[in-house]
Amino acid sequence: MTPRTQTLRFDAVVVGTGAGGAPLLSRLARAGLKVLALEAGPVHPLSEMATDERTQEKLFWKDERISSGQDPIGFGRNNSGIGVGGSTLHYTAYVPRVQPDDLKLRTEFGVGQDWPLEYSDLEPYYDELEHFLGISGPEHYPWGPPRNQSYRHAALPLNAAAKAMQRGCAALGIRTSSAPNAALSAPQEQEGYGVRHACTNRGFCQAGCSVGAKASVDVTFLPLAVKGGAEIRPNSFVTRFLLEGNRITGVEYLRDGLLEQVFTDTLFLCAGAIETPRLLLMQNLANSSGQVGRNFMAHVGTQVWGRFEEETQPFMGIPGSLISEDTHRLEGMVGGYLLQSIGAMPVTYASQYARGTGTWGKKLLEHMSGYTKVAGINVLGEGLPYDGNFLELSPELDARGLPKPIIHYSNGDNEKKMAAHAEKLMRDIWTAAGAHDLWTFPRGAHTLGTARMGQDSRSSVINRDCKSWDLENLYICDNSIFPSSLSVNPALTQMALSLRTADVFLKG
Amino acid sequence: MDPSEKAQLLELLESNRVTNATRRVLLERLNQKFERQFFSVSHLELLRTVALRLVPHDPLELDLVGPIDGRLAHGDSKGWRYADLALEPNPYKSLLEALPKDFLQLEGEVQDSILEGVQKEFPRAFEDLLAELVEIYYSHPLVQVRIGYYGFADAQGWTL
Ligand SMILES: Cc1cc2nc3c(=O)[nH]c(=O)nc-3n(C[C@H](O)[C@H](O)[C@H](O)COP(=O)(O)OP(=O)(O)OC[C@H]3O[C@@H](n4cnc5c(N)ncnc54)[C@H](O)[C@@H]3O)c2cc1C
Ligand code: SF4
Repeated sequence: MTPRTQTLRFDAVVVGTGAGGAPLLSRLARAGLKVLALEAGPVHPLSEMATDERTQEKLFWKDERISSGQDPIGFGRNNSGIGVGGSTLHYTAYVPRVQPDDLKLRTEFGVGQDWPLEYSDLEPYYDELEHFLGISGPEHYPWGPPRNQSYRHAALPLNAAAKAMQRGCAALGIRTSSAPNAALSAPQEQEGYGVRHACTNRGFCQAGCSVGAKASVDVTFLPLAVKGGAEIRPNSFVTRFLLEGNRITGVEYLRDGLLEQVFTDTLFLCAGAIETPRLLLMQNLANSSGQVGRNFMAHVGTQVWGRFEEETQPFMGIPGSLISEDTHRLEGMVGGYLLQSIGAMPVTYASQYARGTGTWGKKLLEHMSGYTKVAGINVLGEGLPYDGNFLELSPELDARGLPKPIIHYSNGDNEKKMAAHAEKLMRDIWTAAGAHDLWTFPRGAHTLGTARMGQDSRSSVINRDCKSWDLENLYICDNSIFPSSLSVNPALTQMALSLRTADVFLKG
Repeated sequence: MDPSEKAQLLELLESNRVTNATRRVLLERLNQKFERQFFSVSHLELLRTVALRLVPHDPLELDLVGPIDGRLAHGDSKGWRYADLALEPNPYKSLLEALPKDFLQLEGEVQDSILEGVQKEFPRAFEDLLAELVEIYYSHPLVQVRIGYYGFADAQGWTL
């Protein structure tokens, strides 16, 4: 196929419009650059967000990924998004900041990796994001360094799981707090978008917010980018980069089945921690370190569910409402985890129960007849990089003729110890809160680390400013760049990195 | 099926407690019919019987296998696959072919004990099939209201 070439030339092309791509897109556009974002998926208008999990599967990346290793990671609904807004369309919007020691794991423990950045590099961006996104949170957040400002909006109301977790934790002497959540507890004017509604407690954050309360980037950074003059081209699946020496000159992509090319001075690759290394490996680019695809990490994401005497209506209320970071450091372990209450949409819950316990037949239906009385907690814990956990290209091709990615993942000792510790603690919390029929869903959450940033070009793919060591005008900014997983949810830090990358680039 | 149950559901779906986007897909699902496109007649029959055991339901009320048949006819993936399952147009083939010839004629309890063996022998494919059936089943609005879920009627939001 001969590509349709566009003679238009851009100052910058951004591949991917999720948490890594959207903030920098808006920054570059606002600085007056001529910028284009290429996004593999479609626009998902709020008016077409149905309260129906099956329909909303349209938000998930469904091209086949091959999951290998002792603890194969489930993708699709568990992991990554497609469409204008990327995975922020279906994230739970828990947005805690990182704690400074998380960035220095190797210094503290002698394993894992240090980030080539300090907390002070991120802090101004956290301040900016919490205001811009309209994060709701407690007046005083009990963990982490003192803050320059409090959260913009009051904390969201607790759902039943959060109240039960609060009870259980109090009985065990564990501190809890309303979580910082990027959903609005009060309406907010959003530049380029209009007024965003307050959260109506529909509990469907992981299947897309239909009211604009949740700060996904389609209602925040992307409208701002468009107002600044950026162009967003949906349904444009990037397949290849055009090169001259050690510069990228353009991008080739499939739009509605046709091959097109655009030319650019700088490329920002923000396609997420699976598609970014996949694209790079297909041309063996930016890989003099041999690190592209290596160090794949997932968070320890164990969930414990229980059944209560009273109705919990687990589909009601913001699913991300209560948090504890008291387990940030644990005796005998590298790093730690945080505890979070969760909500449950019926289809996801039933599917996880079936997969997690292997139950079927009448027993399954009996369990599900108690759906409106269940509640869950999960953890999010440090996952270390290991040599054996990596992404490579399969000889098997997808429908576009591109190699499918194979992701090898096995938990190491630290993850196993942490998952066991977390499971026991969550069972104790649920028991103290009065739950019975407990069951555990072991899980690895989030995809991280396949094109990591670092201090030196031999052991990392990009430098502290997200610039490739090898290619002069390539920047990478998405979850692939994480040198360590951090024991917090990644999106806020990802957005902070995105804004910082744009600022450093613009300063030249 | 109790006709008043369906009438009540329809009334709720038609009300202003359901958004247009949600109403459209749920009404469509409630009345959806499937034509065989992918499975052979014998595989389809086997799969229907297996589905009845894994997720007991009234096949006149809802078709759990039709959506699987449709998905495979389109070659759609759920986004990933276990590396130890080979690439197959029909990922459930080995599982179905492991069932005895007279499976359809056996008593339900005997079928169950055979399926327990299949679950042990083909854990990955069995898990995938079970999850797919479960997801289709609990996506049906009638099934949802029966377990007390009415979250789709959220157009006015919820007060906690
Ligand atoms: C169910 C769920 C709940 C979550 N909850 C939370 C939470 O509560 N808090 C939190 O902090 N994080 C959460 N996350 C994680 C969060 O969503 C991610 O960390 C974040 O969105 C990752 O940003 P990213 O830029 O790396 O990738 P994405 O946001 O996934 O963006 C990548 C974009 O690139 C596009 N793309 C990929 N390949 C191509 C290509 N070849 N051509 C063109 N475009 C391409 C994709 O379509 C996508 O839009 C959750 C994730 C999931 C799945
Ligand atoms: S709970 Fe609130 S933020 Fe989440 S989807 Fe519903 S309205 Fe949106």
